[in-house]
Amino acid sequence: MTWIDFPLYSSIIVILWIIGLVFLVVSYKKQVVFKIANVLFVAGWAVMLVFVIKLWIELDRPPMRTLGETRLWYATFLPLIGFVTYIRWQYKWFLAYSIAMASMFLAINYLNPETYSKTLMPALQSPWFIPHVLVYLFSYAVLAASSIVAIKGWYDSYQGNFKIETLKLADNLVYIGFAFLTLGLLFGALWAKEAWGHYWTWDPKEVWAFLTWMGYLIYIHYRNFHAHNSKQALTILALAFVVLLVCWFGVNYLPVATTSVHTYTQY
Amino acid sequence: MSENNTKVQRNLWENPWGYVESFFIGIGLIITGLFLEVLNTSESTFTLSYPFNLYFLIGYVLILFVLYKWFSTTQLIRWLTKVPASISSITLVTLLVMVMGIIPQVTSENSLINNLGLNHITSNWAFLLILFQFLTCLGLISIKRILQFKWSNFGFILNHLGLFLALISGILGTGDLQRLSINVYENKPSWIATDAQKNEIELPFAFYLKDFLIDEYHPKLALIENKTGSIAHNNGKNLYLVEKGEKYSFKNFEVTVNDFLPNSGRVGARYEPVNELGSPPSASISVKNVENDSIQNAWISSGSFRYPYESFKISEEYSLVMTIPEVKKFSSDIDILTKEGERISTVLEVNKPFSYKGWKIYQLSYDDKMGKWSNLSVLELVKDPWLPLIYIGIFMMIAGAFYMFWMGNKITKNQE
Repeated sequence: MTWIDFPLYSSIIVILWIIGLVFLVVSYKKQVVFKIANVLFVAGWAVMLVFVIKLWIELDRPPMRTLGETRLWYATFLPLIGFVTYIRWQYKWFLAYSIAMASMFLAINYLNPETYSKTLMPALQSPWFIPHVLVYLFSYAVLAASSIVAIKGWYDSYQGNFKIETLKLADNLVYIGFAFLTLGLLFGALWAKEAWGHYWTWDPKEVWAFLTWMGYLIYIHYRNFHAHNSKQALTILALAFVVLLVCWFGVNYLPVATTSVHTYTQY
Repeated sequence: MSENNTKVQRNLWENPWGYVESFFIGIGLIITGLFLEVLNTSESTFTLSYPFNLYFLIGYVLILFVLYKWFSTTQLIRWLTKVPASISSITLVTLLVMVMGIIPQVTSENSLINNLGLNHITSNWAFLLILFQFLTCLGLISIKRILQFKWSNFGFILNHLGLFLALISGILGTGDLQRLSINVYENKPSWIATDAQKNEIELPFAFYLKDFLIDEYHPKLALIENKTGSIAHNNGKNLYLVEKGEKYSFKNFEVTVNDFLPNSGRVGARYEPVNELGSPPSASISVKNVENDSIQNAWISSGSFRYPYESFKISEEYSLVMTIPEVKKFSSDIDILTKEGERISTVLEVNKPFSYKGWKIYQLSYDDKMGKWSNLSVLELVKDPWLPLIYIGIFMMIAGAFYMFWMGNKITKNQE
């Protein structure tokens, strides 16, 4: 069980999910059809979990080092967030979105064959590694979901039927995502103290992680005091996500990248 | 603190100050700071060290308290405790940090960047001034919520006061932070460390390195293009660890690893296990060309600082090579010797520092040219007396994050 088996597993998952999405689309007011869609989603997700667990065992290290491995986690968390959001707030469109996004991440991984590297450098061998990365990826997935809500909000207001509930869903997601973002940042600081001797060194990745945090901080403060300026709030939310994307993928392409200690893929 | 929905035409600087005034003040602070940068050409950065940073902290908190308690009706303090001042200072701090995230923080070829100090944002006056406004807002509203304590403010106080504590003690603490590195050689005591400016500093204790150990992963197999010398297989990804008995396929070649020797030396046409300084790993491989079923056998080795590497040309186009093994773990078995004749034994490893008399001692690096035969271990010593205060701030924020995760959604629900 390695990345070599990924095409097989990802095809099974994506096929299950696409059939599920078709059922979801035609399930308008038909509970039975919607149930079938859910069964397909859960089945696909179970296959996903099996792949992640087996990959972890086979690699003999947490599969969290490379971008492809983080995309895998993303594809694992998004459906979970979709399920929970559906159970809690009954948003079908959101469930569909999270499944579609997860499928997209699997497709990206399929098109970019990933490193089959079992090695893990000493700096990453720490009990902090798993909580730091998992908390971050979970937070990124939730915040990505919130930015999709923002896009829906924009679309709705162009159509002239914007509902404040949409923004409330965004708020819920941002609060959860921001709490995890804070934890990821602080776990990172505590770990850095153990590994590199200082909790904060303004490494480029740290700078952009801090900026992401500040971006959502602006959104939260703005929302708290200007509950009715929905357009501005949606814009802030979209911009904050752009910063998050720079932090996640973009840092490697910035002129500052050469000085970063967060680049772990040398090949 | 609800928003004024009926938009009334009002003049700039009319009571109360809003966003326009806030950004006006904030940008004014930044411009002032940049002017100071242009005028101030000295290289040294301004830092406060003990006891002045402690005086500053106590004085600052007292002043904030006094300002809130007795001057909260003045225009300035009212503005500082309101949202426009917070949002503008958060935004402007974000802006300057973004500059730091784009422009490399080293001496630049661009004289404008150098003169404005955009290559050392963390000690740039513009950044320090806007950060000062940010902290003042943060401090004042923390004091405000503490003085008007309600249980529903608990999460708010944890987050805001935690951030205030962590930031201010982090900033003031830099003056007292000591980071030294020391080269320690096997079977020799060492007590002269160097700081970032290469000054030698004598330690009150000595390190005696008993043994320096490196654990390595097995080397990897890679397919190289003969013409370019670059890795050809799967865009340079998917390199396989050399493992005895394993079979791997590269393009239309099937490679079997017949034998693997972690320490070996060339004896005639083959490698034999040896145990001497610089003996490299080697592997015996069979390569089967799937197209014509021909089989070739050879030994390859990654080489070391003492011996050359050995690759295997499998066709006109490609060769197989063995990469230099990656390090899995490195550690120093040391004794700390005190002037009183005490001897404390410990093993230092990356991610496993050792605390001794206010110092934290880290395994930093080694002689990477010598690799696992290095008899040099580089240790780092860090003393940060402000750390407890920073940790209090960080743990308050962690608690605040849990509170936020738990309560955040309820708060927004109750609002309407």
